[in-house]
Amino acid sequence: MPDVTLYHWEPNANSGKPMLALMEKGVAFNSRYLDLLNFDQHKPEYLAINPQGTIPAMLHGDRVLTESTAIMEYVDESFPGPKLMPADPRDCWRVRWWMKFMDQWLAPSFSMIGWSVFVGPAVRKKDPEELKAAVERIPLPERRVAWRKAIYGAFGEEEMAESQRRVAVGIRMLEDELSKRPWLASAQFSLADINGFNLAYALPLAQPTLSNDEKTPNILRWLRAIYARPATKACWAMGRTSMVSRVKILEQAHIGGETAA
Amino acid sequence: MTTILFHGEPNGPSLTVLAALFEKSVPAQLVRIDLAAGERHSLPCARQSEVAMSIEGEGPVLVVDGEGMTDSVFIACYLDDIGPGPALRPADPYRRWEVMAWCRQIIERTAPAAAYLGCWAHPPHAGPAQLAGVQSADLRARWDEIVAGRFEEPRLGDSRVKISQSVDRIETRLEGREWLMGEFSIADLESYAWLAGMTEVVPAAFSGKPRTAAWLGRVRARPAVARALGLATVANPANCWAPGPEINRWG
Repeated sequence: MPDVTLYHWEPNANSGKPMLALMEKGVAFNSRYLDLLNFDQHKPEYLAINPQGTIPAMLHGDRVLTESTAIMEYVDESFPGPKLMPADPRDCWRVRWWMKFMDQWLAPSFSMIGWSVFVGPAVRKKDPEELKAAVERIPLPERRVAWRKAIYGAFGEEEMAESQRRVAVGIRMLEDELSKRPWLASAQFSLADINGFNLAYALPLAQPTLSNDEKTPNILRWLRAIYARPATKACWAMGRTSMVSRVKILEQAHIGGETAA
Repeated sequence: MTTILFHGEPNGPSLTVLAALFEKSVPAQLVRIDLAAGERHSLPCARQSEVAMSIEGEGPVLVVDGEGMTDSVFIACYLDDIGPGPALRPADPYRRWEVMAWCRQIIERTAPAAAYLGCWAHPPHAGPAQLAGVQSADLRARWDEIVAGRFEEPRLGDSRVKISQSVDRIETRLEGREWLMGEFSIADLESYAWLAGMTEVVPAAFSGKPRTAAWLGRVRARPAVARALGLATVANPANCWAPGPEINRWG
């Protein structure tokens, strides 16, 4: 039995970051799939491991680690295998800058859109009383607010428009950055690329008018290059929902702006 | 290699970076700018993505060979990597994770609250000409609210709660310890830099917290921190604020 256990949901967003980092390093781990849509992450068994009720969490021996981006740095430093942080300190700064930009600015906007079109409708099929009780069990007050908005479709028009604005800005920034070098933050594949793929793997499907082979050739080149890696293929094969199967858009040789929608 | 640090008064992120620079004995040209007047937006590197879109809001910029670097914790990691001074992060990966996870909580929860309360208590003073250079629409929106004096009571209340929670965590963490991570680290610098100015703005958060009070004194007394504070051009730099990271949009 490996001494690493990862509690995760789909290979997507925060869960997918340590999953893909572990697989790139070649580290075997016990997979504990938590069904976010069934609120497994707020059940007592999991709260005993991470009292904040956020996914993912990783056990390494008797150590408990949370915060997906910080977990990735730990994974890179703790295990043999290819280095996922660059050797140059300024490149390391750039990797961390982009990860934080994505974690705190861009990803919340993507996920507000994602929750309103995928997570919200998926959980709304459940019994209303059961849903209400499930929300009451969420430990962090801000996560309770977020879940209520997702479940009851209560994202305001203004905040959705702001999220869409940020997605458009973020896509332009990623395209600019990826026109400078092969990978997002340095000349070598790094944690920033793992982080970014988890955010953007379905971008040409979700935002077809903003991201396609005509408008964002560098983003598409980058996404396909990450998808071509064996670790990525193996990681996305662990997905169970239609959400992550959207990654297959990257198998198309050409994704045009007019036809992608 | 030319290194220039554009910094504001020694408070918040400018204090973290100045103190880290001195702790690590990294040679750099120091250039004071008035972050509270929006002067960062007229720097030659102001339009680089990593400067214009920094999550930290109005923080210092370390320019290395023309590339503008922002976000104080990550600049401090860079200085820790290149400087000859004593390490600012532990060598053990798990303890490094503790530093990064701690700093992440400070960046996400404490810093937005401190900047909001700080700007409310001590408003910055940028004019329209300076603000015209702000590239980030959401940072510009935060500036506009602050300059107009529009502060929302629920946000002020929530920010006070977040400061109290941070101090509670620090008080608990310091049981049997001199520094937050055992050894002095970036976590001490970043936590101190955002909270030092909160002792006057949210005094209730600090009352009955003897370990935190003693720790604040210890950080302040470190030669590198004292040297950074000595660069102040005002009597109390802990009262100098500019828009910081935004408060979480999800609630």
